[in-house]
Amino acid sequence: MTSLAYGQLTDEALSQLSDILGAERVLTTPQARFQRASVPAPFPLHRAAEYMPDAVVLPETTAEVQAIVRWANRHRIPLVPRCGGTGLADGAVPLRHGVVVDTKRMNRFLELDLENRTCTIQPAINMLKLNEEYLLPHGLFYPDDPASYPVSIIGGRIGTGGWSLLGARYGHVPDNVLSLELVLGNGEILRVGGGGGKKIRKSSTGYRLKDLFIGHQGTLGITTECTLELYAQPEAVFPAFFLYRDFETAWRAAKRFSECGVATLAGVVLFDEQKVEFLRRDDEAWIPLPTWVRTAVCVVAYGLEREVEVAREVFLTLGRETSGVYAGRELSEGDWASRHDRYATPLHGRRKDGQVVRMSWHCEDAALNWSELAEVREKWHEIVRRLVDRYEIFDDWGMFFYSNSPFRGWGDYLVEIDVGIQEELIDEETWQAWCAAKREIAAVALEHGGSITAAHGATRAGEVELVPVELGYGFELMKIIKRWADPNNIMNPGKYELDRAYVWEAENV
Amino acid sequence: MAQAKTEEEKLKEQFEGPAFGCFSSRHKFCREICPTYQVTRNESHTSYGFHASMVAIARGLASVADVAADFRFCTMCGACENRCPNTLFTGDFYRNRTRTIDLVRNVRAAAHSLGISDPAWQDWNERTQLHKNEPVWEGAKPQPDDWARGLNLPKGGETILFCDCEAAHHRTSVPQAIARLLQTAGVPFGLMFEQWCCGGPAYEMGFIDQARAFASHNVQDWRRAGAKRILCVDPHDYIHFTEDYPNLLGSEAMRDFEIVHIVELLDELIRDGRIRLTERIPLRVTYHDPCRLNKRKGIHEAPRRILRAIPGLDFVDVDHVTQWAFCSGGGGGVPIALPELAKEISTRRIRKAEELQVDALVSACVWAERPLSERRADGTTNLRIYDIVELVAVSAGVLDGAGIGL
Repeated sequence: MTSLAYGQLTDEALSQLSDILGAERVLTTPQARFQRASVPAPFPLHRAAEYMPDAVVLPETTAEVQAIVRWANRHRIPLVPRCGGTGLADGAVPLRHGVVVDTKRMNRFLELDLENRTCTIQPAINMLKLNEEYLLPHGLFYPDDPASYPVSIIGGRIGTGGWSLLGARYGHVPDNVLSLELVLGNGEILRVGGGGGKKIRKSSTGYRLKDLFIGHQGTLGITTECTLELYAQPEAVFPAFFLYRDFETAWRAAKRFSECGVATLAGVVLFDEQKVEFLRRDDEAWIPLPTWVRTAVCVVAYGLEREVEVAREVFLTLGRETSGVYAGRELSEGDWASRHDRYATPLHGRRKDGQVVRMSWHCEDAALNWSELAEVREKWHEIVRRLVDRYEIFDDWGMFFYSNSPFRGWGDYLVEIDVGIQEELIDEETWQAWCAAKREIAAVALEHGGSITAAHGATRAGEVELVPVELGYGFELMKIIKRWADPNNIMNPGKYELDRAYVWEAENV
Repeated sequence: MAQAKTEEEKLKEQFEGPAFGCFSSRHKFCREICPTYQVTRNESHTSYGFHASMVAIARGLASVADVAADFRFCTMCGACENRCPNTLFTGDFYRNRTRTIDLVRNVRAAAHSLGISDPAWQDWNERTQLHKNEPVWEGAKPQPDDWARGLNLPKGGETILFCDCEAAHHRTSVPQAIARLLQTAGVPFGLMFEQWCCGGPAYEMGFIDQARAFASHNVQDWRRAGAKRILCVDPHDYIHFTEDYPNLLGSEAMRDFEIVHIVELLDELIRDGRIRLTERIPLRVTYHDPCRLNKRKGIHEAPRRILRAIPGLDFVDVDHVTQWAFCSGGGGGVPIALPELAKEISTRRIRKAEELQVDALVSACVWAERPLSERRADGTTNLRIYDIVELVAVSAGVLDGAGIGL
């Protein structure tokens, strides 16, 4: 048995799928398959056929998902779970064709527990909708707030182990998913949480299994239900942008903000010089700023009015003490309010000659300690500079550094370099150059004691090859777990180099 | 001799670039506000799905025949275009603003050219062609001006009231209320000599030649009448006259006409004191922004001003941006080809209104009022459905409220 010996999606197999779901929820048109071949990460369109699934299914219940998984095991057909399809790590991109399990119809709100401040939902509810329609009327909110907040879907956030802009105050996805139900690759249904409790935050019973099933990129199973932590809706939000003359000063200022002891601190974001230069090209908020402004730090507090008032005083004092200039209410509130759209979707870039062309955004991220940021920054820009020098389709859009530790501002940073790519012109040479650059970027993160990714998952071509290097013997454990949960390697095969989990058997057959 | 271009090649020429703008982003910020997606949760029915399909067509991975059925699932409400970050921030940098509605209509037109349009649309447009009006009536076909009997309205003149098929043949209380209000305000106006369907629904379903023939007839009739200003009862007409007629007939053809939607005129007349709202209407209402007025033309202030000016009315507003995610399901040919989808979209809109504990849902679009009223008729809701001009007419004392359940 090898990892690649998959069955064919025969008419009979398809007809069995239709028996499970009804024909209208089994899609086989070329466009339905093409639409689910990619995510927002750069896509090698010249090789689209390699990533096309053979069919798409739209289940609505746990029982249907279980029936699909059992069906896939019988036929040895790969399954690729897909929720919002807005991840940046190719988690939902099929690498071995098969069937995409598009869970968007699993969007029922199951229970609001006001006494214990939880809600239990099917996985395919978007965070904005969850807050708007179900939680805000009760004065509550679920604080997961990535750039994709208006569109991404909670099941996908679980599958990728997502990171939130408000993590320093409210934690990230692993902290706020109290328990989840999933159908494993072996067809079993598993509920994991704090021990066996569905709504328990802290337990000492057994292994801490829940974390295994957050960020597995669909390689172990498919999330079918989850119970979430809820918080009081903040009374007040105070974002403040401070402007600096150089990176070094802003970098040190970010540390001061992150350690300032304000409990309502929700996040710290550092903009480097290339990022400010990029924003000055076309962004109306940034163009008029004086020329001495070369970097910026954004800090934001969420909480009660009285708490946030204290935070406001502390931030403004610290801004002055670190030689920062407060950018004013309009820029601060405007940029914070448009944070989901503004930075993630510029949709255009410039060639070296200044010509505006259609470019899509891509970011490479890593988790790094504060002490490493300055050096890593220089190395990453150098990698991208070589890419830009050689190929016109790339454009360096600068770097962001976000506080990364859950429930505290200090320590780790999510480090992100944004690269504009004129995707329609990608060919094999530029694709390989891009993958090589990603590998180099990941290698720098590891050299500096970091982790390849803080937010998106390390499943992209290029850096994925370094996952075994980062995890060491831990990768051997991953392979054992993968084989236990998914003996036939049907769950998102090819991801995380986990085909290697099945090599021993192949060699011994 | 060069071979004629295929439908796929023609679409590629026009839409490959903009489609790639959406596809290469793939962020899908437009998804959750799409009224169709909210029901089907099938990405193939979203703006991203349509643009990705277009990329697939351009790259030879799919054909018009493959995608035609999916492209029926669009009410052409325009929410996705508004919510697209490309529109909000950057589209004009490279002249590739997101144009989902254009794309959908052109793919539908390609399907029609290939003879694979939805059979319900084919039938609808054949009957429209036969009658020169959309077959919205029950029983024998009425005459286009039957609604105006007893009102002594002249034919022709500088201001023409264009009373669309739905209003003329189905919801006749609306044009009757408008006529009385205009008479009260002393606004001279006339009717067309021979009004045909505006052609807009045919255009939206992809029956372009039929739409052009209807547009051409109506414009000729306006010229014959000496018209300078066309008053639209229906937001769909307002879109067709301001955007689609210039596309179909050339921008010159429409240069001589001012196109006005009735809510803007009524708002002006009320503010000028030419229509006086004196009768109290003790009713708690909310307002449904017609997609074509709000999302596509940015007209959302005038109807709100009007409702606030009606004495006794308790108006509970939902802001116009929140309403980007709302739709009645009445547009884009959806009720004809996919009646169950239209029914579900309208039900969801009704439920949003019910949450506000209102007595009535008021709109300014007769096409929206059809599926919404059907939800009352089939027992889905107890909410009453009014057109804003009906309330204005009652408050102005030119329409008996009892006649419309007030």
